[in-house]
Amino acid sequence: MKLLLIILPLAVSFTGCAVAPWERGNLAKPQMALDPHPLQTELSGHSHGSREAAGAGGSTSGGGCGCY
Amino acid sequence: MAAIKSKNKRLDRANTPNPLQSLTAAALLLPGVMLGVAQAADEDEFTFQYGRYEESHRNLGDVKSQFDPISVDSLQAGSKISLTDRVKFAFNYIQDTWSGATPISTSPIAHPASSERQGNRALKINNTIVGASPYVQTALPVYFDKQFNPVRIINDTGTDADGNPVVEYSKVNELAHTMALASPETRKEGNFKLGYEWDEAAVDVGGGISIEKDYESRFGNIGGRLDFNQKLTSLTGGISYTNSDTSARFDHDVLSVPGVYGTYIDTSHYTNDIEKTSDGYGNLMTGNRQDWAANLGLTQILYKDALVKFGAGYTRSTGYMANPYKAVTVFFIDTDPNVFDAENADYFGYVNQPYTGQIQPFLEQRPNVRDQWNFSTGYVQYINPLDAALHVDYRFFHDDWGIDAHTFEADWVQPLGTGWTVTPRLRYYTQDAADFYTPYLISKQALRSSKLDAEGNPQFDDDNELIKAPYDASKLPAHFSSDHRLSGYGALSGGLVLTKQFAKGLTLEAGFEYYNHKGSFKLGSGGEGDYADFSYYTANAALKVNLESVGRAMSGGGHDHHAMHHNHGAPLPAGVMFGHVMTTPGDIMVGYRYMYSRQDGRMLHENELAADQDIVSNGCNLEPGLTCRTSPAFMNMHMHMLDIMYAPTSWLNLMVMPQFMDMDMNMRALSGVNPVPSSTTDDHLHGGHETGGVGDTGLYAMFKLFQDEGHDVNMGLGVTAPTGSVDIKLRRMHKVGNATDNGFIHYGMQLGSGTWDFKPSVTYTGKVSDWSWGAQVSGTKRLEDRNQSGFAFGDQLQSTAWGSYSVFNWLSASVRGIYTVQGAVKGEFTALPGNCAVNHSLNTTEACADVNPKGGSMDNPKNYGGRYWDVGFGLNATIPSGSLAGNTFSVEWLQPVEDDVNGYQLERNGTLNATWSYGF
Repeated sequence: MKLLLIILPLAVSFTGCAVAPWERGNLAKPQMALDPHPLQTELSGHSHGSREAAGAGGSTSGGGCGCY
Repeated sequence: MAAIKSKNKRLDRANTPNPLQSLTAAALLLPGVMLGVAQAADEDEFTFQYGRYEESHRNLGDVKSQFDPISVDSLQAGSKISLTDRVKFAFNYIQDTWSGATPISTSPIAHPASSERQGNRALKINNTIVGASPYVQTALPVYFDKQFNPVRIINDTGTDADGNPVVEYSKVNELAHTMALASPETRKEGNFKLGYEWDEAAVDVGGGISIEKDYESRFGNIGGRLDFNQKLTSLTGGISYTNSDTSARFDHDVLSVPGVYGTYIDTSHYTNDIEKTSDGYGNLMTGNRQDWAANLGLTQILYKDALVKFGAGYTRSTGYMANPYKAVTVFFIDTDPNVFDAENADYFGYVNQPYTGQIQPFLEQRPNVRDQWNFSTGYVQYINPLDAALHVDYRFFHDDWGIDAHTFEADWVQPLGTGWTVTPRLRYYTQDAADFYTPYLISKQALRSSKLDAEGNPQFDDDNELIKAPYDASKLPAHFSSDHRLSGYGALSGGLVLTKQFAKGLTLEAGFEYYNHKGSFKLGSGGEGDYADFSYYTANAALKVNLESVGRAMSGGGHDHHAMHHNHGAPLPAGVMFGHVMTTPGDIMVGYRYMYSRQDGRMLHENELAADQDIVSNGCNLEPGLTCRTSPAFMNMHMHMLDIMYAPTSWLNLMVMPQFMDMDMNMRALSGVNPVPSSTTDDHLHGGHETGGVGDTGLYAMFKLFQDEGHDVNMGLGVTAPTGSVDIKLRRMHKVGNATDNGFIHYGMQLGSGTWDFKPSVTYTGKVSDWSWGAQVSGTKRLEDRNQSGFAFGDQLQSTAWGSYSVFNWLSASVRGIYTVQGAVKGEFTALPGNCAVNHSLNTTEACADVNPKGGSMDNPKNYGGRYWDVGFGLNATIPSGSLAGNTFSVEWLQPVEDDVNGYQLERNGTLNATWSYGF
């Protein structure tokens, strides 16, 4: 939460640098997607999650154990 | 947003790719596409992914585990569809099957492997060391110096200048895991997400269930996204709740008698959570766990080539969070020099007497509350000269178990032109150990000590034996675990993702990752020793079909062609394969087939009910004198098939069909068998068996032989490659002091045929107005006499005929008759020498020439195949228009009419076929 208090004003301060819709071509490219490879992320995330203590804490989706 | 979208569709439809217009349209679409949690539901698509995980062998010192390390086969199929312009629906099915060896406990290597070493004792068969057996308990103590370091005795025959005995020892630094084998187990998960989108906001709700034999988890979540600041900023948030139940079936070895010598794993802490299984053969450890999680995220576009994101999350977990299969080795050391007790004080009278550590493994104990915090940030930068994107992410994790973890990740997404993209990825992870992590524990008290009366004298029972008192549980720490996941370590991993986007919205993806876990990689000092180091790799292949782009294309010129293509032939019942040849060169069809069949209930001999006594006497006579002890109680088989078909010419189709299997079954004791099958006999009555993974892969060519008004004749020629395992073995039963070996799991639970098989078929279909019909003859001819495990399944011939009526233009119903003949299994499993139970009792073993089980009716190759009559009832729906046009769904239930089995087999209950296919 504390972090957000820092982030929010930071974000608001970015509002000055507006990017017009016609300037957003690069941002729309698939390689710029927040997660360009969601299937890959899911699979490796499951492997990391079953082998690391911090693995499970990252998502809010819930899920099974698969505790091999 | 809706208006923008439909404008975009019109652009596509108009089929006039004006670059400027397209770019502008894409840019206008951007904020919704790129930002926020609802992003996932934005493009209608079908995805399918297969992944393989394989771990390296663990370093066990001077022995090698006889078991293969853990490996996992994962399967994932999912779809995202727009129910309306604003309502999005996504669902996923995930299935993992794993098996192999995993650490159960840790201990110092204080004794050479060949003796009664705690940990992995050398396993001898016919006096040859063949590996290390999992053995967490041993009679031999481990000695400790006065600083409580474990020591190895070098010489105990020396004396000092005064002639007093001296023992010479050296400190032991090496630790080793004990590796135990996890028999194949399958997890299945289904989840969904339903979302609603406004122009600058979205909400979604989701949920799902994940089921394993010993763990069931149900979860729900709700999330939202808010765009503001001309969609340069997006705020996301979500909460989720997960409720999970553990019901772990303990080995018969794991019994709880606190302080009693020979207890394999002490479970006394959990006495109230352990109950007898309903079949009376085992013990169930039960527990419940709940997780509440909340997170907030912020994404900010910095300028036209970069964006940044921040996230924070909190998770509170309560309940049973331990792993029921992990134990901690506890050394009980009685440091009181005044109490002489032979068990607790060897080398008594030696001038430098070491402490004697009595070994008792305990089930691990974790706190039942865990608070976890996450903070993450990421940055995405477009690299203009290369048209690439750099993704950099960092995550900090903190919990109240004492674990701080840092994750650094960098991806470089590089498009290469003509639809190719390559993405190298690098990741570093480091974590501290949990406060209660320990490779092993030392408790400064006797495991059991002589009970003293008020005057300090030992007490004796009626048989004049010393009365012993167990350890004092309150002197043990409240929480302890040796799970390497809670140790301090670092992990470095790297990989590559390769993506190829084809025309028509088809994308193929392949990925590889190598992961290296090392204590010495930990940030700062204090990482775990190198005995716990391991590595793994994952490899995966995925297929993605963009339904929306095809749908758009179809609503324009492509649609007529498509509709014609799909309706020209008669609808086929779901269980019929190879019935349809695509006639337009360049066409692609992607399909998914699911088959479920179940056997349950009564045992048959040929076409009559078989009495237990008949099965006992005649069901297992593979060798003279052998009788049956068990028969199957039920068996389920699930098969998932991906179906990819391509038409290079108008008369030839090529087809690839990978298959994924998972099966489970249980057995029952036959009546009138002596000794009575139980958890202490070698009959495997311990809650059933599961197997799963990649099955055989089909490769087919289909030819159009004849086509006339309303009549088609096709021929299919193909082979299945033996990609499914046929060497899955049952788990070794590691009863204390003895170790029976277990051979191959029975023929029907193996995942493939193990042989190259020839699969020809001829199909006729006819159609007049709303009526259609067809007939097919298909066969399976094994091209080899034996597979690598020594057997081959019987050949098969099937004939079928059906009739179908179109109730509506999109829905038809079918009735079908099927006759199948299959031969018995030829050959038998290759003999495996090992240790067999004597007279079926796990308490006594002896070396034997073949450990393969022979006491179950399903272990007899003669009890396979037969003649079967079935009737099928099916429905077939083809979506004629809209964004999902071209999708065909069909289901069919096959009801057995008559079975005439070879030998003794379980009756069939029926088969469900369900298919989805999509041509474009």
